[in-house]
Amino acid sequence: MSDIASGEQLDLVARRATAVAWWRDFGVRLALDVARVLVLTGVVALVLAFFSAGMLQLIVEARAQENLSLATIFPSPVELRQAWDEHQTRLLQEHIPETLWETLAGLTIAVVLGLTIAALMDFSPLLRWVLYPVLVVSQTIPIFAIAILLILIFGFGSGPKIIVVVLFCFFPVTLSTFTGLQSADPELISLLRAMGANARQIWVKARLPAAMPSFFAGLRIAATYSVVGAIFGEYITAQRGLGVFLKRSYSSFRLDQAYLAILLTALLSLLLVLLVNLVERLALRWYYTARRRSWRGPGIY
Amino acid sequence: MSSCRAVLSETERSAGLGGGDEIPVSAAPASPTIMTPEPRVPCLEVRGVSKTFRDGGQIVHALDRVSFAAYPGEFITIIGPSGSGKSTLFNIITGLTEPDEGEIVLECGVVRRRAGRVGYMPQRDLLLPWRTVLNNVILGPELDGRSRREARRRARELLPLFGLEGFENAFPETLSGGMRQRAALLRTFLTDREVLLLDEPFGALDALTRRELQRWLLGVWERFRKTILFITHDVEEAVYLADRVLVFSGRPGRIVKELRVDLPRPRQAISLLSEDLRRHEAELLAALEAANGHAPSGETK
Repeated sequence: MSDIASGEQLDLVARRATAVAWWRDFGVRLALDVARVLVLTGVVALVLAFFSAGMLQLIVEARAQENLSLATIFPSPVELRQAWDEHQTRLLQEHIPETLWETLAGLTIAVVLGLTIAALMDFSPLLRWVLYPVLVVSQTIPIFAIAILLILIFGFGSGPKIIVVVLFCFFPVTLSTFTGLQSADPELISLLRAMGANARQIWVKARLPAAMPSFFAGLRIAATYSVVGAIFGEYITAQRGLGVFLKRSYSSFRLDQAYLAILLTALLSLLLVLLVNLVERLALRWYYTARRRSWRGPGIY
Repeated sequence: MSSCRAVLSETERSAGLGGGDEIPVSAAPASPTIMTPEPRVPCLEVRGVSKTFRDGGQIVHALDRVSFAAYPGEFITIIGPSGSGKSTLFNIITGLTEPDEGEIVLECGVVRRRAGRVGYMPQRDLLLPWRTVLNNVILGPELDGRSRREARRRARELLPLFGLEGFENAFPETLSGGMRQRAALLRTFLTDREVLLLDEPFGALDALTRRELQRWLLGVWERFRKTILFITHDVEEAVYLADRVLVFSGRPGRIVKELRVDLPRPRQAISLLSEDLRRHEAELLAALEAANGHAPSGETK
């Protein structure tokens, strides 16, 4: 363009063009800024409204419950201890083993199921297309409704509870493993292909190991859900288990027992997560050496 | 003396290069290096390879009728501006992509499945982070289905030569950049392929480490006498390492010059300021500049 117009003309045209462009940009920017302020104000107002309304509701309702004393709501540690002594044998011999069995069986099935589904989705785009919506929909169905249905179908044994645990747990395992499998370094895959690796070798030697950190992240979430899942199943109806112990405690207004059940549930979950962490540390030694190093940050050494 | 041909035809190759234009023996009389007469059969031949691909809606002419041959034990460096299709050429030789035109001849003919027939080292070291150094370097034999134990034994023997002694059980993340590149090189050497393609292996290293590794690579190459194709952006590196330098033009990549480097070997002791080295570098630089200058005026098919 510079060949035709003289320097002066060009200068003038260019300056006018810049001015026009500046004003246009300014208008756009102004509109965007105003829109942003409006949206942000709206969001903040909404948050404030729900927060204050919710808190008000809580306070009003707490005030109405004057017959409940603070001592019954929060039993002392001594009372908890007494409750433990009272039910120790049944808890240790019946309830906890039952819950633990359901949890571990459900979690294991969920892991196997999750890994399989993730692998299938990774292998075939068609299966991915079919399974992905099914997976998401499976999480939108209230598990409570399914649990009752399951008990109607399978009876009062531990079977339905195991299924509830599986329903709770397989989703995080599947999704995170699948994400991990998809996140394998494409350049690494290319290198392996150039080295003559077949699809199976690429999967076993690159994709699967690359997915392991994500898999464990999912497993950790699943482990925390699993105990809750088992308790949830038992709460609906069961003969043994921490869930039914909790239910009986509530129906006989023994809040100290209820707290004991809650405490034991939390303890079981915690132990399970610790177990997952331990296995992860042992299995992914490379991952943690790498992370430790990067934590140190870039240095001169 | 230095034959500068853009393209080698069949007849030229057998008549001209096969003959006696090897390195003059007089230059290094005490050298233990045996001057093997150059065999007439190239171990890799690139014949009229062209490649065009789409990159985000834009059509990119990566390579335009590139032809050359590599003879057993030869060290060829490839230099050219960024985006001149050097890496694309490597992708074609390794079988990751197919050329639009032309063919690749490996040892005994055009093969349909080229993957795994040559050793390939990409720009990034791409070591598997979950494997120790030792298990990383035996990847080649492992993918071939050869005995892992035998591969480990051979790898252990070579660890000192590659400066990795005592690090066989370390994870790649804990190694320095230079060590990782050496580990990646050892992995490439252990594939036991006749032809090795090295794509800017020292590109990301600091000047000192780079110099050290160049010297070391020459030692390793003299010991194993592999055929090496080595992409670089560094004129000095190109001359210092090579028997022949192929100069690529900018897009579309063509071989615009072939420079025969007749410096004596072994070269580890050569001063970097030596006259001969400088002369070759100047010649190469001139060719590169000419190639860059011509590049935009392009090529009509």
